[in-house]
Amino acid sequence: MQVSTITLCYRKIVDATSTKPWDQLVFEDSYQEFRMQAQLYNPDKKYRTFGELLQHSPGAEQLHFLVSAAVIGYLQQLHETIPDIVNNLGKHFLKFNRYRFEIINSDVLDKTRHQVAINFFSEPLVWHDSIGDYLLVSDNTETEGEVLTHLFKIQPYLSIYSLTN
Amino acid sequence: MERKGFLKSLLFGAVAAPTVLTACDKSSTGIIPTEGTPGTTGSVTNPGTSSTACAVAPTETAGPFPTKSPASFVRSDITDGRTGYKMTAKITIGNTNNGCAPLAGAIVDIWHCDATGNYSEYGGTGMQSTNYQSVHFLRGRQVTDANGLVTFTTIFPGWYSGRATHIHVHIYNDNGTSLKVTQIAFPEGESSAVALVNGYSKGMSGYTTNARDNVFGNDGGVNQIATVSGNTTDGFELTIQMNVSA
Repeated sequence: MQVSTITLCYRKIVDATSTKPWDQLVFEDSYQEFRMQAQLYNPDKKYRTFGELLQHSPGAEQLHFLVSAAVIGYLQQLHETIPDIVNNLGKHFLKFNRYRFEIINSDVLDKTRHQVAINFFSEPLVWHDSIGDYLLVSDNTETEGEVLTHLFKIQPYLSIYSLTN
Repeated sequence: MERKGFLKSLLFGAVAAPTVLTACDKSSTGIIPTEGTPGTTGSVTNPGTSSTACAVAPTETAGPFPTKSPASFVRSDITDGRTGYKMTAKITIGNTNNGCAPLAGAIVDIWHCDATGNYSEYGGTGMQSTNYQSVHFLRGRQVTDANGLVTFTTIFPGWYSGRATHIHVHIYNDNGTSLKVTQIAFPEGESSAVALVNGYSKGMSGYTTNARDNVFGNDGGVNQIATVSGNTTDGFELTIQMNVSA
């Protein structure tokens, strides 16, 4: 059987309704950093939302990168394990060391409109089979003998990012 | 389902949505769009990801427990492995509303380009991934001490077309309100640090002098020029006082 190597992308949304401690720290600190950095692109205080800054202020797309500094410390605290996504045994199993932070919406005057996403890109997995909505994968590149596998469900905000045959 | 068929269904979301999502998704609406909405004034419409997926819930020992972590800018050594002549930058912030006396507790951000003239930033657009190690090279943040002083360890900046050698500075008060966005200029000419560094491997052909620089040009950067001493063996020391209205 032909096997493929895949990487997954989990796009984790963090906003005012997030309840987990990690998510709330990311929410608070990314909002504070956004308010500080947004001033670079808003010297006359004409704009209040991230959307307005993107539309009217040249270079404001750098805010994704600049604000990402607020979440680096929290990414490191994850010890390279992608949060939230578990295998069918209920355990976290996806490893990452690549990510991309993005600001979805924000507003310098209204914290409740701040919403960000962290895209986690998994380490390569060997895809062995699909069973219904589940994928059977392994971290292993062994070609002989017993291979230990993970079974997990494709779910919202989790997608296959890349594919190598 | 065959692998090929399954892959196809993943790639064509509209067709695949029923087979992938309907089994468990109560609302049967799939993923709610989470894209920026430029210029609109709506409120948050996405409740987050934790409740929408019908998959096994995490069943693991609790932890690791997150702790408050400052932005990765907060550090004195901003080199992050970039190579170049070592430079110590000592910036003193004064308050023009108090006879330019030292301003304690001000937040000072600096950033500058590397030896080849590149800044740390996200390359490209869209979903390009980044390794989170040392992604914010040559960017730093410090808070002024009782003497209004912040100190950074970095490398002597390179230069790029159209600009004189410079360091960007953003000064905030202690609650993060912007007080000033400005740049530090470098002395130039014979025996200056800029001449000694000689643009690293680039040389100085095509260099923009302070007088021709579109930022410093109006006054040749006379109010923004730092004092830069040292040499290429032991490194350089940059000192400057910048005054803000606080």
